[in-house]
Amino acid sequence: MTALTATRAPLQVDRLWPVAAAFAAFVVAWKLLVVLGGLPVYILPAPEQVAVRFITAWTDGTMAPHAWTTIVEVALGFAVGASAGVVAGYALARWRAVEQVLSPYLVAAQAVPILALAPLLALWFGPGLLAKVVICGLIVFFPVAIATMVGIRSIDRGLRELARSLRATSRRILVDVEIPGALPSIFGGLRVGVTLAVVGAIVGEWAGADKGLGVLVNLARGSLFDIPLLFATLVTIALLGIVCYALVVLAERRLVGLR
Amino acid sequence: MHRLRPASTLAIALAIAVVVLAGCSGTTQTPTAATKLTVGLGYIPSVQFAAFYRADQAGYYSAEGLVVTFQNEIDANLVPKVGQGQVDLGLADGTSVIPAVSQRIPIKYVATIYGKFPSIVFAKADSGIKTAADLKGKKIGIPGKYGSSWIMLQALLGDAGLTTSDVTIVEYPDFGQGAAVGAGAVDAATGFANNEPVQLELAGTKTVVLTIDGVVPLPGPGIIVGTSTLGSKRDAVAGFIRATLKAMNEIALAPSVGVDAAIKAVPDLAKNKPAQEAILAATIATWPPTGAAAGSKLTGAIDSAAWDQSVTLMTKLGLVPQAVTSANLVDTTFTAAP
Repeated sequence: MTALTATRAPLQVDRLWPVAAAFAAFVVAWKLLVVLGGLPVYILPAPEQVAVRFITAWTDGTMAPHAWTTIVEVALGFAVGASAGVVAGYALARWRAVEQVLSPYLVAAQAVPILALAPLLALWFGPGLLAKVVICGLIVFFPVAIATMVGIRSIDRGLRELARSLRATSRRILVDVEIPGALPSIFGGLRVGVTLAVVGAIVGEWAGADKGLGVLVNLARGSLFDIPLLFATLVTIALLGIVCYALVVLAERRLVGLR
Repeated sequence: MHRLRPASTLAIALAIAVVVLAGCSGTTQTPTAATKLTVGLGYIPSVQFAAFYRADQAGYYSAEGLVVTFQNEIDANLVPKVGQGQVDLGLADGTSVIPAVSQRIPIKYVATIYGKFPSIVFAKADSGIKTAADLKGKKIGIPGKYGSSWIMLQALLGDAGLTTSDVTIVEYPDFGQGAAVGAGAVDAATGFANNEPVQLELAGTKTVVLTIDGVVPLPGPGIIVGTSTLGSKRDAVAGFIRATLKAMNEIALAPSVGVDAAIKAVPDLAKNKPAQEAILAATIATWPPTGAAAGSKLTGAIDSAAWDQSVTLMTKLGLVPQAVTSANLVDTTFTAAP
């Protein structure tokens, strides 16, 4: 056991140092750009100014309420959009008529920028949580639905026939054959969808909210002209996206295994 | 080839000298090239900017040696661009200038365009709302908890001994609060003196308007300039202000001149000329400062003491992270004293 641990530790370091080096290079390039370009803080703040503002915004209570609001919107919006996407994707895969009828509308809906739709959705569903969940759900729905459809269709027809020959019910085929077979593809859609859910929440907040990271972006930029706070908020949004993505990857590893 | 005699040499030298001097003299008499100015106005082209359109079309800017190009920007974009020098001048809210300078964006407010603060609270005339104290317990529509209207609302309520928790705030991020008042969804709303109440009146709904000017003299929109532009194009800035004020005074006397200029600049406005006339009339009413005699000349004067009062209010609201005074915010040398 000790030997195993000893062999794993250097492996993790080996995997981490390129990430750390890339991050350090990014920060150095950012700093150089600010110094050599002589850029003022209201155009591009230096990384240490953003870091300080990030810490103060989290410690003085500026960031947390906004971040929590966005997290709730993302979680609910992703759950609704992903669930609907999986169900719709299955229907699209299994029944050709459904695909023929719905596909044009799905593609058209996806082609309309959510930024243009968001104010309308806010008008219909009000400035509360519901509108953000709907916007998040809509933006998550398409990639998950398409990934599910592709996943279900890619299942070997022979497997289904084998299950039927063993007198498996439709429900058993779904649970034992189709879902496990489509999971890798579904998780591909969920990975894309979860990052889009963060974007959806921010867009929803821009269409009308009094709290949320999108609101804080607007306040920092439009009312306070506090550009380090704007960047600190963007860093928080990016971190939220990374954490959400990591959670999906973690769930995928548990259910599907390493890919 | 024979040699030139000294007299001939002298004559040729004199002739060359005369030509060179004439050339130099000619150079000094050539008019200097016009100075190009990029000017940022509000969100979208509108009759509210008629004075700028008129000054351009009537040649007031060119008479000052200026070639002016307009672009439309919201304050959040315009203020940093003016600070950076990407845009030479802009029309921006005084309440944007205070936090911006506090955040070290290098701009100065150099001329007042709206002498009265145009952001107001309005309600239906039959709502029973006559003063800020009447807002207690009422539903108030706002576009969001930011910007000049939010500052104004807090100051207005504060003067009546109220806070925003004494009223029910309903947000209309699509700026639909005017329609909400009309439909009775809210009792009152924040808006602009030259927008929502005008639209409601045009639709046949009488309105009552509560202004902030008697409470805190918040600085209305005016001309802002980046400090680097102020150094490099000072004369051009002065010329721009002179020409704009000339057009404003002209339009104040004959509003139709302004409507025509706006329609020429933005032909779509002609589709509803009566609305443009009403909006411009309301805009003109906000140009002179509170207490100015009727028909008095618009001078663009800046009231530094009023700016200091506004800084105090905005500091209390947490909008001024680094201390500023009117000396950091305004340059009064382009306009007459108030």
